[in-house]
Amino acid sequence: MGAAESHIWLEPILAGLVGYVLADLGSGVYHWGIDNYGSAETPVFGPQIEAFQGHHKWPWTITRRQFANNLHALARTVTFFVLPIDLACHDSVLLGFVGVCSGCIMFSQQFHAWAHGTKSKLPPIVVALQDAGILVSRPQHAAHHRQPYNNNYCIVSGVWNEFLDTQNVFEALEMILFFKLGVRPRSWDEPNSDWTEETETSSQVALP
Amino acid sequence: MASVSLPKLTLHSLLPTQSPKTPFCLNNSILHKLPQSQFHGLKLSRSSSTSIPSSSSSVKASIFAKVTQGTVPPAFTLKDQDGKNVSLSKFKGKPVVLYFYPADETPGCTKQACAFRDSYEKFKKAGAEVVGISGDDSSSHKAFAKKYKLPFTLLSDEGNKVRKDWGVPSDLFGTLPGRQTYVLDKTGKVQLVYNNQFQPEKHIDETLKLLQSL
Repeated sequence: MGAAESHIWLEPILAGLVGYVLADLGSGVYHWGIDNYGSAETPVFGPQIEAFQGHHKWPWTITRRQFANNLHALARTVTFFVLPIDLACHDSVLLGFVGVCSGCIMFSQQFHAWAHGTKSKLPPIVVALQDAGILVSRPQHAAHHRQPYNNNYCIVSGVWNEFLDTQNVFEALEMILFFKLGVRPRSWDEPNSDWTEETETSSQVALP
Repeated sequence: MASVSLPKLTLHSLLPTQSPKTPFCLNNSILHKLPQSQFHGLKLSRSSSTSIPSSSSSVKASIFAKVTQGTVPPAFTLKDQDGKNVSLSKFKGKPVVLYFYPADETPGCTKQACAFRDSYEKFKKAGAEVVGISGDDSSSHKAFAKKYKLPFTLLSDEGNKVRKDWGVPSDLFGTLPGRQTYVLDKTGKVQLVYNNQFQPEKHIDETLKLLQSL
């Protein structure tokens, strides 16, 4: 491949990189919304909201799910949006962006599951990617599962977490929604038993 | 220092060029916010560049009656958490720390109230009174004060009239009531105006610092 043609690859690759970065932001905003608003009765999102609440209560169970289980729901949504784009567009930059962004979103639940894993049980390549900051790390995601459950929402690479948290972005959004719509996010109130993590040993004991 | 809160290099340089996925223009609001929270001085100088108060009458009021350092603020009488009328004139003769906050039972305001509570002895030692003001009603203030054992007065600025009269600026293009604190000296003149929405504990540090010098 000549120097004149190498730029053909550069732009889609850069677009892919942007897609990877934005997927992380998207994962954070979506996760924040689902964690804080709505309930099991909310149309469309209800089951997901319930699942996220369940995840907060029993976080370790995510490590026991099969690969396909972690992918299928997101894959369905991604196919719905991406397939038409793939069929209609031929621009390599756009496809590079959409491919990487949607791919990261599709795999985000698996990345999330790996972030709950223990180092000794994870494939070495996964640990290496987590340590390099390419995938969301275990300690960073663990911070999200501690009180007050209002930070470290991004679960692709986690690259946005520090910025979003130090700049109080989600707090600002929560305040705006509170003042404009009167809705309180779940993270503002004392965690009740629906939210608080049950430890494996105490799962028999009723929580206060 | 601004550099402490900057994200990793790649992300920050990408930010201005990407189309925002977020619901509002984060860039501008954060850039507006950064100077306020990091470099905030004693003078209140954000009126021209930030959000506009919600109604035109309040713009007029704020132009003519805006409270700044060195001025005497307009008088008011508001109900406290027990439903009793409290006038600003009641505090003449001693310094007053009057802090306007967005709402009871929100994280920032709770942090701020608890920080004032935890430093209350220092304020008393400086001979000062602490008064919180928000648009919530007396019953909300009563519950809030009880829950967090707040030893000071909370006033109910229904309709945010006093907030508008004093020209307390809003944040994020008028969507959020601003978090602004005034320190009045014994004569009732404003000696400090401090504004910081997202670092509420700083209000305590800044006001104590000034009180020590009064």
